[in-house]
Amino acid sequence: MPEANHLEGEVARLIVETLNLDIDPTGIDPQAPLFREGLGLDSIDALELALALSQRYGFKLRADDPNNTRIFSSLRALTEYVRVNRAK
Amino acid sequence: MSRGWLLQRERGSRFALRLITWIALHLGRASARILLYPICIYFLTFAGRARRASRQYLQRVLGCRANIMHVGHHFHSFAATILDRVFLLTDRYGQFDVCIHGAESILQRVQRKQGCLLLGAHLGSFEIMRTLGIDEAGLPISVLMYEDNAAKTIEIAKALNPELANTVIPIGGVDSLLLVKEKLDQGQLVGLLGDRTLAHDKIVYCSFLGERAVFPAGPMLLAAAVKAPVFLCFGLYRGGNRYEVHCELFAERVDIPRAGSGQELQHWVQRYAERLEHYCRVAPYNWFNFYDFWAAAP
Repeated sequence: MPEANHLEGEVARLIVETLNLDIDPTGIDPQAPLFREGLGLDSIDALELALALSQRYGFKLRADDPNNTRIFSSLRALTEYVRVNRAK
Repeated sequence: MSRGWLLQRERGSRFALRLITWIALHLGRASARILLYPICIYFLTFAGRARRASRQYLQRVLGCRANIMHVGHHFHSFAATILDRVFLLTDRYGQFDVCIHGAESILQRVQRKQGCLLLGAHLGSFEIMRTLGIDEAGLPISVLMYEDNAAKTIEIAKALNPELANTVIPIGGVDSLLLVKEKLDQGQLVGLLGDRTLAHDKIVYCSFLGERAVFPAGPMLLAAAVKAPVFLCFGLYRGGNRYEVHCELFAERVDIPRAGSGQELQHWVQRYAERLEHYCRVAPYNWFNFYDFWAAAP
């Protein structure tokens, strides 16, 4: 699935650029947790990431979405959400 | 440990809190206030850690040796604001004499539907802030807080005013700050306290009352992320039934670039610490952090 991989790479780059992380985007394990363990992001990172994703892909992440924890669980889950919901 | 407040068990059994709430609601504020004396004597006798923390703080802020009377005054002031919370949560504002400074600017922004962050501290009473909007059918305000910590107190608050409990945004969820952003975008106010740190919080060292202390970076990083104006708000207890609410614009925008060296973050948190110090000097007995605030960071 080259297209899915391409999008995953793009989301990984967006994470690294938005949060100014000192890591190589291609080095992010797509299945590893993004928050607390794994990449170790915190709730402010989550907010900034949500805002950047909304701007880039033209959808709105909502605070009352019961799936938020799952959406932000890993790079792969986040990419899947972007793929389904993107408006641009 | 400066995070000692989390480890410090909420003292006072559920029964004691319920009892004082019942007395307050059925016999009134004057009767309930008589109980504050035995309660303070109990804590002066048995809460050694809080007593030492109070004395240490008072010596810094007053610049002289603090004795047991000073500490008693400090505890009494804390207990009085806790009791008054019962009346404030049940919308009985009438019995308070509240003097408000600087709130006009916040009210104007609320009318313009411009969301703002209201940054306070464990200094005085945050609940008294709700009196700001009583002429306007209530301010649209939510409060961001650690819900697990003061569970017992919050449980009672919920029993007293279930509607109010819905305005609490618990910290910690992956989307809790997204909710803050949504409220601000809708033109609402979001309150939070900027003085206590939790394990895993990003921290900043600031000079505070003459010595280095640890402050959380979170509130300023949040302000930077949401790009909303920040007001400082402190509800100072002045004895008897008197409160003074002080509001001041802290910043139209807190700018902290991600790629920065950390200097901007340091600058903003230090400015907060300086204003907090100012208000500690205005109303010394309103400081309600009863643990060693200047302890080294863990």
